Amino acid sequence: MRSDSEPRTTTSGSRTGGGGRTGPLAAPIARHRVALGMKLLLYAVALTALFTFPDVAPSRYEVTVAITLLNYAVLATAWNFVGGFTGYISLGHGAFAGLGAYGTALLVVKAELPSFPALFAAAALVGLIAVPVGYAALRVRGASFVIVSIALVLVLLLVFQSWASFTGGSRGMVVPRPFPGMLRTEHHRVFYFLFAALLALALVTWWLIDRSRFGLGLKSIREDEDKAQALGTPTFAYKLVVFVVSAVFTALAGGLYALWFGDLDPVFQFSILSGAYMVLMALLGGVRHLYGPLLGALVVGYALEYSKLEYGDTPLHLVTAGLLLAVVVLFMPDGVIPAVRGLAARFLGGGQSSIREVTAAELLHGQRAAGSAAPPDSRTRKEVSS
Amino acid sequence: MPSAGLVFQSVLLGLLLGGLYALLAAGLTLYFGIMRVVMIAHSAFLILAAYLAWWAHRETGVDPLLTLVVTVPLFFLAGVALQRLLLSRLSPVTLTMMSVLLTFAIALVIEGLLGYAFSGTQRRIRLGYSSTSLELFGARIAVVKLIGFALAALSLLGLYLLLKHSRFGQALRATIQHREAARLLGIDTDRVAGYGFGLGLATAAVGGTALSLDSTIYPSLHWHWIGPLMAIIVVGGLGSVPGAAIAAMTLGMMQSLLQIELAATWAQTIFYLALFGTLAFRPQGFFGGRLAQRF
Amino acid sequence: MSGLEITGLSKSFGGVCALDDVSVAFPHGKINALIGPNGSGKTTFFNCVTGMIRADSGRITYRGQDLTGRPPHRIARAGIGRSFQLCRVFPRMTVLDNLLCAVQPRTLRAKAGRSHSRAETERARHWLTRMGIDHLERAEAQNLSWGQQKLLELAGVLMSEPETILLDEPAGGVNPALIDRICALVSELNAEGRTFLVVEHNMDLVMSLSHHIVVFDRGWPIAEGPPSAIRSDEKVLGAYLGV
Repeated sequence: MRSDSEPRTTTSGSRTGGGGRTGPLAAPIARHRVALGMKLLLYAVALTALFTFPDVAPSRYEVTVAITLLNYAVLATAWNFVGGFTGYISLGHGAFAGLGAYGTALLVVKAELPSFPALFAAAALVGLIAVPVGYAALRVRGASFVIVSIALVLVLLLVFQSWASFTGGSRGMVVPRPFPGMLRTEHHRVFYFLFAALLALALVTWWLIDRSRFGLGLKSIREDEDKAQALGTPTFAYKLVVFVVSAVFTALAGGLYALWFGDLDPVFQFSILSGAYMVLMALLGGVRHLYGPLLGALVVGYALEYSKLEYGDTPLHLVTAGLLLAVVVLFMPDGVIPAVRGLAARFLGGGQSSIREVTAAELLHGQRAAGSAAPPDSRTRKEVSS
Repeated sequence: MPSAGLVFQSVLLGLLLGGLYALLAAGLTLYFGIMRVVMIAHSAFLILAAYLAWWAHRETGVDPLLTLVVTVPLFFLAGVALQRLLLSRLSPVTLTMMSVLLTFAIALVIEGLLGYAFSGTQRRIRLGYSSTSLELFGARIAVVKLIGFALAALSLLGLYLLLKHSRFGQALRATIQHREAARLLGIDTDRVAGYGFGLGLATAAVGGTALSLDSTIYPSLHWHWIGPLMAIIVVGGLGSVPGAAIAAMTLGMMQSLLQIELAATWAQTIFYLALFGTLAFRPQGFFGGRLAQRF
Repeated sequence: MSGLEITGLSKSFGGVCALDDVSVAFPHGKINALIGPNGSGKTTFFNCVTGMIRADSGRITYRGQDLTGRPPHRIARAGIGRSFQLCRVFPRMTVLDNLLCAVQPRTLRAKAGRSHSRAETERARHWLTRMGIDHLERAEAQNLSWGQQKLLELAGVLMSEPETILLDEPAGGVNPALIDRICALVSELNAEGRTFLVVEHNMDLVMSLSHHIVVFDRGWPIAEGPPSAIRSDEKVLGAYLGV
């Protein structure tokens, strides 16, 4: 991590050092204004596109693809509550989506609840289930968490396939439509907006946590869990809470999908692959950013849908997903957002590669001010310690 | 109440299965000990080895056991390459999480390529001795299962001797226990870690060959193996080879006994129950070293 | 006044005894030091007291409160802060955020509140100014020099308002000028009423800074007392020179 942030800061530093003769503060403020304007414009365009899409879409197929993408976006954002804040990577979030879907379906079919109360009840139940699961998974560090997350999907797949009398087993389950008399087109339209609303809710929640003290505590866990604990952060409780929040959002997405699609198959609901897609999407976009998972979901989701249409279902999907995941992990573990930002900053001539970072020139200045605080051997020392 | 003979037979079958679990879990434990890596692709390599044995048998008619001559060195090299070329590139800070993703990605690639090359059809090797079985105190045990167990037991013994009594084993154990200290003693820990990974992957080659003798194989089969194997290393205490072996035998036997009364899929849930139970009540595992405590 | 008291603390790792029935007390309001040769159990002792590892037996009390077996965050909340050997900061957070992480909201409302509240930011700036690194507020911690990271870590600990501060090798890998600065800070903070427990190898520093010294050897306290007494203690000389 050190090695790739190092050169970036130095290059941008030399740029500001050479060209920036004006006051150190004037340029950042102007740049800030431009950035804000661009941001607002981007929001306006995105929202307009979102609201008008069902009306301008050439056919029903495009709307279903859009719904699928929105579903992916909710799932990836929900995953990012755990993955992004705490740095714990769950490969088994597919389990919560599956539980949400089956929970909703079973509550509608067996308990004869109306569709939407069933959805919320199922999500609440999944939240309850997530408590003991999280308790087992989060007491110790990373490795066991990953193991539990995978085991959860595998065991649920076993259970839902074998318990045929209750879940329909491998034959799957049909979920009654929430609006029986509605036309197909209208049905898709409604669910398009329902998914969009759920996505908005997930994003707002993520944003609220991100700026809160709770969120800062979670991020300190991601950076150094021992240290966070030593500073008094109740790490276990924090992890558990955010894990449950994540599970609930995942379940809501799964349940909504069940109501929309109307047909459940345990192999797809409790699939390791669906969890892997969530990780891939979030990681590709960037787990530290609010819109990272959304962006990743659009890219990966679109690629998935496109290749399904062009090439059908082949095992090469797995190969592609695997290779893509490996590339992301090896070469851009922070996702495309920081990578693109870094590039943009270089092309725009701006010194700042991100808002939170100080430019290298300022840093140099600071080091000179601190003077003695920087021993010449500091670099080697740090390398040894890490 | 099942008859005593049936129980005895199940115990034997459980032990035979447990031997294979133990060998594979030893491989997983090695990876974890060396680099704190949870190697998700372990069982994908297992299935790959089984496919190679099946394929060699189909193409040339050779006995699957002979493929060991090729697969074991090949997998050893692949393991070394995996550690040196891929895993060592990851940042040490996020190694545990990122290595899981990387090995997961490798598992997906292997599964996909197997599906592409050999289709999703279930495959099985038919040998002259496939259906022969032995009578042992009233229990009928298929010869192929015995061969598989013997392979696993021999490899495990070899691994044990190598770790305990060779210079390399000493270096490896030193690396596992304290990397910095080992380096100070003049051990090339990077090379040792690479060889350790090679050994781990070699267990998958042996296990895969043993598996191909008496099992039906298909590309996504590895998911049915990685779950139980991970449960075993957690119950055994992450990083403890003897712990993993004991847990493997115990859980293998319990699975086999449960199969008398329950369907095979339900019996497999015993692994997950053991996993969740262990983490909830004794997170350091039952035979665990101190490694487990903070991971 | 009674501060941190440890009775009968033992810890062994796989048969190797790191701490053997240790009983010590550190007077409140003083600068205490813990010294001893490598492998004498100082860091294990530190980790047991702060709850990072669980002792096999023994009791830890702090100002009459029993802290035995408490998780690290509860011990931190009881008023004991610590730094780490080799310095640990949150590498990919800004300097300011590093400090704000130490703010522990008690109520649900406070937890949900903004992390960068005005009052807390001001308090964080106060500590950064005292450490002399306030100009680095927006820098990512990983871009700081080693010495700056050490100061940042101390600022973070102070931000959590501990009464007692455990420092693990505060002078490790730091140049002489910065050592002086850290010493001055510790003395100042002690004068303001904070208790210190310092593990350190730098004898000059320990002798000049501390009021009370405990010497460990092979998991066991072999001597304690003021610097003047320790300097002439034969057992201590023996332990250090290997006589």
